[in-house]
Amino acid sequence: MRVVELIDVYKIYKTEFYEVKALDGVSMQVEEGDFVVIMGPSGSGKSTLLNLIGCLDKPTSGKVLINGVETINLDDKELTELRRDTIGFIFQTYNLIPTLTALENVELPMIFKGISRQERERRARELLSIVGLEDAMDRKPNELSGGQQQRVAIARALANNPKILLCDEPTGNLDTKSGEQVMNIIKEQNEERKVTVILVTHDPSLAKYGSFVIRLRDGKIERVEG
Amino acid sequence: MYLELAKRNLERAKVRSLLAVIGILIGVMAVSAIGIFGESLKATVLENFEDVANELIVSPNYQEGYKYLEKKDVERIEKLPHVDSAIPIKSDSLLVEAKKKKAYLPIYGMEEKDVEEMFDVEKGVIRLKGSCVVGKRLADFADIRVNSKITINGREFRVAGILEDTGARFDINPNTAILLSPDDFSKVSDAGYTMVIVRADSLDLVDNVKKEIEDKLNSREEKVIVFDLKIILERINEAFSQINTFLMAIASISLLVAGVSILNIMLMSTIERTKEIGVMRAIGAYRTTILKIFLFEAVILGLIGSIIGSVLSIAGGYAIDYLILQNVKYVFQPATLIYIFLGFSVGLATSVVSGLYPAWRASRLEPIEALRFE
Ligand SMILES: Nc1ncnc2c1ncn2[C@@H]1O[C@H](COP(=O)(O)OP(=O)(O)OP(=O)(O)O)[C@@H](O)[C@H]1O
Ligand SMILES: [Mg+2]
Repeated sequence: MRVVELIDVYKIYKTEFYEVKALDGVSMQVEEGDFVVIMGPSGSGKSTLLNLIGCLDKPTSGKVLINGVETINLDDKELTELRRDTIGFIFQTYNLIPTLTALENVELPMIFKGISRQERERRARELLSIVGLEDAMDRKPNELSGGQQQRVAIARALANNPKILLCDEPTGNLDTKSGEQVMNIIKEQNEERKVTVILVTHDPSLAKYGSFVIRLRDGKIERVEG
Repeated sequence: MYLELAKRNLERAKVRSLLAVIGILIGVMAVSAIGIFGESLKATVLENFEDVANELIVSPNYQEGYKYLEKKDVERIEKLPHVDSAIPIKSDSLLVEAKKKKAYLPIYGMEEKDVEEMFDVEKGVIRLKGSCVVGKRLADFADIRVNSKITINGREFRVAGILEDTGARFDINPNTAILLSPDDFSKVSDAGYTMVIVRADSLDLVDNVKKEIEDKLNSREEKVIVFDLKIILERINEAFSQINTFLMAIASISLLVAGVSILNIMLMSTIERTKEIGVMRAIGAYRTTILKIFLFEAVILGLIGSIIGSVLSIAGGYAIDYLILQNVKYVFQPATLIYIFLGFSVGLATSVVSGLYPAWRASRLEPIEALRFE
């Protein structure tokens, strides 16, 4: 099944003085269970591409289809529900809510979905033990290391059983060991639960995790490997 | 859970939240305490008029050619239901001589027992048998003392007593007058009854009695005019309510300031938390969810401030009453609850209104813009 499809997508940022083609006619397809690694120099449009797939942003022109649904036709409420139920985000800077404990951070997407307290607590505990944080559930983000925070973020991204996991430089702020730990968890989800992963990175050593690698340059797909 | 989230965000900026709460608290306290004071002031003033309020004054209708009330009119009034007492009064303006002064002064003819009931003596006694009592100001002015002799219309009377200064009254003013018994009065003047002071059994029955008197005495011609002092009570009530509203409006300026401070801290909070808002939107929070979270924060601030302010306003009202009225008994009356409730509602409403704009702004943020914010 084709979970993500982009057809001739442009994203142009216009200001008074200049115009940036962040994406310059990108078309691509991602099938269920794929592990896509997107690589390219800084400013090549990687994050822009990921944000369009994640329904956080809209293309200037072209089509973005998630699970066969054209996102341009959805209103804010429907886009919110799509993000909540189908997509999990993992950011370079973790982006946990600082006032909430690890457990509560993982519960948050389930709260937004309206899942009962009991059920969401059970699931949050389960997810935190999958990422190896059963002993840190009640700690706030500022009491956790970067690697631990990113693992909480992964647990949060998985909370509502998403089909697609979008990762923007998930290891960018981590040392090699923590980075490897994080990548292994993501890989595991991809292999065991058939979660489709689209991962953006600068780090060439992460190419090995991908079922294929897309190389971006100046908003265009330069080449697809693997 | 959203409530819990709001609570924690407020705890994160403790000092700021505390200041906002104090702002609301002071505002609520000012509004309620002044309301309580105003009500006490009104009650204190009204208390002075309460025994007058169930009075009716019946006087002849000059415009229809009646100068005096007749004896039988007085008797008919006395017999009406719900009439507690009827005090007929004759009056005239007569030449009075005392020592070396002489002047035309109001002379009232009243039963001794009625005088006793209506007035108190300062010196001497109230005795109207061949003697008279004199108003305080007149006595001071003309240097009249107990046992002085004065001449009214050529007839000599001994002064039995001098009345206390009564202050302003609506029926008769004895301060510059001389009171005689009806018998003695008829020896110096042929004037008839110029007024009957009627007291109803209770304040509620004043309107009934008024109607009865008009029905009975004015059946053929408009012989009498009935004036009820309840109107005065109502006017005073009205005037004080207006003063109270005005004072509370001034006090509510402090609430306005508190509202602006909530607006300010909530706006700061939305800006500081822009990225957090972006994250929540990205992982599935509706716009309305964001709106709710921020509104809850404003409501919590308002609720805490208003509750503490309400409780303190009782102390505030007590203090103002004690300082200005030297009397705190009116703090604990039902109207106080109304003002506390009013202060509380206005405080809460101010917080909600102030929180609305920042919350709305937070909810309108585009997820991508919010996420990019550092
Ligand atoms: N909101 C914006 N307004 C104007 N230009 C933008 C905006 N967002 C991105 N751009 C531009 O679009 C281009 C692509 O940006 P993007 O963030 O997608 O790059 P990237 O590949 O993720 O880079 P990096 O590896 O540094 O994260 C850049 O030239 C950037 O300056
Ligand atoms: Mg980027």
